[in-house]
Amino acid sequence: MLPVFQQFVQNPFPEFFAQAGSENLSQLVLEFLRSHVPFLATLPDPVLQLIAMLAVCVIFVAVVPLLPLFLVLAERKVSAHIQDRVGPMRVGPHGVLQTLADGVKLIFKEDHIPRQGDKILFIVAPYIIFACSFAVFAAIPFGKSILVSNLNIGIFYIMAISSVVVIGVIMAGWASNSKWSLLGALRSAAQIVSYEIPIGLSILAVVMLVESLKMQDIVMNQGGLGILSWIVFRTPFTFIAFFVFFISAIAEVNRTPFDLPEAESELVAGFHTEYSGMRFALFFIAEYANMFAVSAIAATLFLGGWKGIIPGYEFLGGTPGFVIKTMLLVFVMMWIRWTLPRLRVDQLMNLCWKYLIPISFFNILGIGIWVLIFQNDRNPAHIGISLLIIILGIIGAYLVLGKRSSQSPAPRASSA
Amino acid sequence: MRQYFSNIYLGVYSVFIGMAITFRQLFKPSVTHQYPYEHSFEQKKNVRDIPQGYRGQLFNRIEDCIGCKKCEMICPVDCIYITTEKLPKGERLWDSMNVVHLKDRTEIVGMIEGDEKIEADTTVSIQTRERGAVEIPSEQVARVVERKPVIFYLDKFDIDMSLCMYCGLCTEVCPTECLIMIDTLEGIEYSTFDRTNLIFKFAKPEMYDKPLDEAADAEAAD
Ligand code: SF4
Ligand code: SF4
Repeated sequence: MLPVFQQFVQNPFPEFFAQAGSENLSQLVLEFLRSHVPFLATLPDPVLQLIAMLAVCVIFVAVVPLLPLFLVLAERKVSAHIQDRVGPMRVGPHGVLQTLADGVKLIFKEDHIPRQGDKILFIVAPYIIFACSFAVFAAIPFGKSILVSNLNIGIFYIMAISSVVVIGVIMAGWASNSKWSLLGALRSAAQIVSYEIPIGLSILAVVMLVESLKMQDIVMNQGGLGILSWIVFRTPFTFIAFFVFFISAIAEVNRTPFDLPEAESELVAGFHTEYSGMRFALFFIAEYANMFAVSAIAATLFLGGWKGIIPGYEFLGGTPGFVIKTMLLVFVMMWIRWTLPRLRVDQLMNLCWKYLIPISFFNILGIGIWVLIFQNDRNPAHIGISLLIIILGIIGAYLVLGKRSSQSPAPRASSA
Repeated sequence: MRQYFSNIYLGVYSVFIGMAITFRQLFKPSVTHQYPYEHSFEQKKNVRDIPQGYRGQLFNRIEDCIGCKKCEMICPVDCIYITTEKLPKGERLWDSMNVVHLKDRTEIVGMIEGDEKIEADTTVSIQTRERGAVEIPSEQVARVVERKPVIFYLDKFDIDMSLCMYCGLCTEVCPTECLIMIDTLEGIEYSTFDRTNLIFKFAKPEMYDKPLDEAADAEAAD
């Protein structure tokens, strides 16, 4: 039992990998077709490549919408148990088929388009958002060769394509011809544009350390020492950058406490107020796909991607390990959502411009100095220094600021 | 400057405190009561039972009802329907009687022979209609209630629970305390496919040894 499990954890598709020197998924499929499907192997190369690419497309188009199916249920269950409820229980054992039932319901719903709205924009908007959140998956490395395209500007591409989402949001808000939608869209625009900056800066910190924009290079850079070579622990500045990135990422995907664009209590449903049926489902899928994508990026940049925890063993490595890490981050996102209340607009901007951005700039400076001093920053001694600084920093903050803040009305843990 | 860092510290600290609380909540057993599937409230540890004195369904111990119609009169929504039929003058269904409530929550209806005041360590003999004379030790007796002579038929005692608003006024005015609200789980189960099932019929014409059709005739003649 254990060896089989270990093998699966390390290398889920042994026969593929045995021969694969392939760099990405379409090459992998190509090699698989060449060696395992004899009647296709006789075809000319370009045709075969086209087939391989289409196969990869099909895999992603089939797998990615399944994510929200699972994530929505997970979200509902997590929120329910945090609030001492049980969540959906009726459809299937413990309600596992609830999202499927909801999806079927959404398909059958009337597809309503506001008469006074801008029809074309209204129809196009969900597809833009949907397509953009899908396109992000193209550059996320799920494993050594489970990657659609190993772009040499990988992380830059991800940032660029995820910024396009805001155009879709504004289109949806404008085309709905509803004040709630428009307000939501404008808030979303302000929010995403603001939080793009700390995200970019904290990604820059990683890029400065790795000296490459390629996603695979970033992952490769985190191998060797197991958990210690993960970029979070590599320098104290990346440790801060991870938190800055994660906070801004939550804001990017419009989740509580930064869900001002959707703010149910103020704006009905924000930019998708007027949407119904399958178009609404597209927004919904995009939201959860985004959530997964952002967590996957955080796991790739800071938590070692598909590299494992223990050096040599690659336990919690490979594709399953990567998915587990990502799911943990997704869980933290849900957890935060059901802990914190929504921010006010001014608090949102305050947090971004007065706290996250200055901290990110400080990080960039710090990383620059760090790289200058410790040339080979994968030296265990240097990582030890960084860990020491992180721990001392946390203890120091507690001693210096914790005491001081206890005089002001500090939040206390209730025993409830 | 110091304020700035202490703001950051406070923000991070309070978020972590909040997350710790929600994480603890995550593993607490949920309080949800899966109602149609879980019928017993005792199954869940942290769920309160239905509180005592809960205003549930109305129930009439029809044997004790004296047909005074006080409940019908006070009901604000007029959802109690009572018809009675007086016996000819001088006749009575049964004479004044004693209801002996026993400690095991059963009751015996009949005349207590001899002194109605019950002394300790004696036996009480009760003359009942169905079982003849019954003897019970006096320590089993909880209390004795006198029942007035019955000089009427109670043909119809219906309460339309779909109109009732559970004010409980009818139970307060009832002189014999025979109209009560049930505060157990049976008192909250209503679901039915037919609205007419919510009209609770308490009258038992067969109680008076009177054929049912005659009772119906009497109703029609009303
Ligand atoms: S509890 Fe119902 S039946 Fe009794 S008086 Fe109130 S409304 Fe009428
Ligand atoms: S008030 Fe009580 S005794 Fe009088 S008719 Fe109503 S239920 Fe019967």
